[in-house]
Amino acid sequence: MTPRPDAQAAVGPASTAAPSRRRLLQGISAGALGLAALPLAGCALDGARADGGPASPEDDLELSFLISNLDGGWVPSQSAISSYEANVWQQLTDKLVHTDAEGTVSPWIATHWEQNEDATEYVLHLRGGVTFSDGTPLDAAAVLANLEAWAVGRPEEGLARVGLFPGGTYEGAEALDPLTVRVTFTAPTLSFLPTLGYHGCQLMAPSSLALSLEEQADLAHQIGSGPFVLESWEPRQRVRLVRREDYDWAPEVLGATGPARLSAITFTVLPDDTLRASAARAGQTDLAYNVNPQVLDSFTEAGFTIEVPRYLGFVHGYSLRTQVAPFDDVRVRQAVTRGIDRAEILRTVFTDAWEPATSWLQAGVPETTDLTELFAYDPELATQLLDEAGWTERTAEGFRAKDGVELGFTIYPTPYLTGSVPEAELISQHLGRLGIRVRTQKLDIPTYTERVTNDPTQGVQEVTRSFVDVGTVAGVITDEGEDWFQTGSSDAELVRLRDEVAGAASREERAGVVEELSRHVLEQAYFIPLEQNVQRIYVQSPQLSGITFNAVAIPSYHAATKEEA
Amino acid sequence: MSAAATETTAGSSPAGTSAAARTARRYGSFALRRTGQALVVIALAYVLVFLVLAAIPGDPISAQLDNPQNGYSEEEKAQIRAFHGLDRPVLVQLLVSLGNALRGELGTSMSTSQPVAAMIGEAIPSTLALAVTALALAILLAAVLGLLSRLLPEGPLNSLVRSLPAAFLSTPNFLIGLVLIQVLAVNLGLFSLVEPESARSTLVAALTLAIPVSAQIAQVFITALDESSGQDYAEVALSRGLPPVQVVLRHLLRPSLLPTVTVVGLVLGEVLGGSLITETIFGRAGVGTVVQKAVSSQDVPVLLAAVVLSATVFVMVNLVIDLLYPLLDPRLRVGKESR
Repeated sequence: MTPRPDAQAAVGPASTAAPSRRRLLQGISAGALGLAALPLAGCALDGARADGGPASPEDDLELSFLISNLDGGWVPSQSAISSYEANVWQQLTDKLVHTDAEGTVSPWIATHWEQNEDATEYVLHLRGGVTFSDGTPLDAAAVLANLEAWAVGRPEEGLARVGLFPGGTYEGAEALDPLTVRVTFTAPTLSFLPTLGYHGCQLMAPSSLALSLEEQADLAHQIGSGPFVLESWEPRQRVRLVRREDYDWAPEVLGATGPARLSAITFTVLPDDTLRASAARAGQTDLAYNVNPQVLDSFTEAGFTIEVPRYLGFVHGYSLRTQVAPFDDVRVRQAVTRGIDRAEILRTVFTDAWEPATSWLQAGVPETTDLTELFAYDPELATQLLDEAGWTERTAEGFRAKDGVELGFTIYPTPYLTGSVPEAELISQHLGRLGIRVRTQKLDIPTYTERVTNDPTQGVQEVTRSFVDVGTVAGVITDEGEDWFQTGSSDAELVRLRDEVAGAASREERAGVVEELSRHVLEQAYFIPLEQNVQRIYVQSPQLSGITFNAVAIPSYHAATKEEA
Repeated sequence: MSAAATETTAGSSPAGTSAAARTARRYGSFALRRTGQALVVIALAYVLVFLVLAAIPGDPISAQLDNPQNGYSEEEKAQIRAFHGLDRPVLVQLLVSLGNALRGELGTSMSTSQPVAAMIGEAIPSTLALAVTALALAILLAAVLGLLSRLLPEGPLNSLVRSLPAAFLSTPNFLIGLVLIQVLAVNLGLFSLVEPESARSTLVAALTLAIPVSAQIAQVFITALDESSGQDYAEVALSRGLPPVQVVLRHLLRPSLLPTVTVVGLVLGEVLGGSLITETIFGRAGVGTVVQKAVSSQDVPVLLAAVVLSATVFVMVNLVIDLLYPLLDPRLRVGKESR
């Protein structure tokens, strides 16, 4: 057991009991104390706010949130972008800017900013009077510490940097005065501003950032400036947050000021998705996360709100590695993309809330244009393409073959997405009708990374990837990056488009290049789009309202409220 | 041994002290041998699990580092791997890990960076509450079924009681849990799914676990009761006109307890194994859940600690059972055989 010396320091102003009392008995008594003290604290603060306070939050509006797991731990560089922990982090922390579901960047802790012409230098002006929940200021010095953690991290101490932050071109940052920060890059970096609204870029107190990896694993040590503060937590089981009464710096664009309306949020882990659904139906929780898509219709009929927020990023689909047979032949790739009946997938695996892909990028990305005609279902064309490619022999089981080799491949459905398994099985049927044998095999996350992602001989890579700035695409398409399609630098067109996207200094100029690039990727069938990616499903009680989602589909409960049933 | 035997025959009149001392000595060497064996078992389990996990590709740290989305450079990956000691050869990692474990340092989780000792320590009370309640319920249930099987007159009701264990045993644990949850929590609202550690929820979870476990105990108990009821002394007792309740309680119960206690020891493994599924169904943060997550994420330090813990529990339970035998059956008392 490691000592937890500064547990007290981690407690927000409204909380009375020390958090992280993780042993059972202490946990119970702390919870009881906290519960008993809450109304008192609320009354006192309400009194103080009575003269001139901006809002009058209710005192006993509690939100109960059932989640599938909280296994990722609480080291921000490990779990801030997790689909699970991010739901908690978003309530505990703020960001420099707010990036909405359409990719629009608006002020938050940074009230305004300037950038130079070639997008290599940015000056951020910070809002005054913002504090972390331990009372320390969120000023230029704190922002510098965060930028350092996002861009560089401390890998020699096991603390990784934030993956999507443009660390590659990051040169450095300096404080021009206590509320002004200048950030410089070695090359044009248009992605910098939108990325500040990405879930990885959450502002933590410098004291939290300075902790060791093991110390950071204790959520009670993580101090943010968000509308809620930690009251208590039990690992993998429960996190309870309470409203921060002096919070007054929510993003203006969301329209709510002052402290949160809800007095507390309790996240409880219930791994079984049918039970999360049952608990919601029985009114035992206000919110259930990630239930099976196929039961959603019954909730809609019962008056529940179903939120399937879509993040900015790539659509759900498969990227194909062109060095791996049979994808070394463009006609096979095109036949695969033409042989998938996407309408049937939407009908049988998902519900009306899911929408078809229109490109390889999500429809919410501002640069996305409708290129459906380049991959629409066309089994006749697919058959013709396979015949032309010489896959005309038939095996005993009826699959196509060429020179005695059967036409087929394996899909390892991603463990990160609800519905990926039935979807892959359906695709296997679709392509089976064309004579392509598609095997499916389910793997757990570590095995998946090892056997599929890191194995260059696996032809199909399932993509469920968010980004906040379309410039990200430049980093995946060639060997100066992830080389998704294993084309290296051999596709000159791809290389040219990559350079133009990466080097663009204005978003308008870049948008045209992105369309050209998308067209090329889809014509070459390097990427098989399936449907608009929905990675998070929220079943919400009809009493809830005022919930907003950001660019990466993470909810904010700052403005949320709940009608008394 | 021969010395001990001589002593036995020599000291028949002042038997008390020397026999007791001899018994204690024998018992001491027996306990030492058993403890030594147990330590070897635990160490072997540790090494075996370590090697098996090393042979399986993937671990949580590499899964994060190699996720292309994060775009880490080779140098960054190497630094982070080195921090966790993953750059060293497997055998060196094993020796370091074993050395740390001997010093009582279980390390930190590869998934969450939390100290393993704390993770497991915090999960134990929940599992203990579930397992103890479940075992108590199982024993109670088995006792009721066993006694009813002897006390109910032959007929359909008796047959029903006797067929229940088989029915319990063939119903999967998770099915019982899901049905109980659906009926008690969802339909009747008797307990809340959102408070999995509450007393009511614990009781229902324990019942889920107790039903199949009780069946195994009940089967053995019923058979043992039947067997002892066929013995001469039982028939004599009955023929003397003792009421059946007295016969069962006074004459049949004690000889039937020996096999029953043995099976209780054996089903303890079932209770701990079953708690894994039950905890997951009910969303309890117990040891079973910790192990299940550690298995699916290949979190080596957590799994090793769990292996040591469960091996220790099993060894201790077996030891306790061995110590209970002589109390239940005088024939098994150490040293008696030479008289």
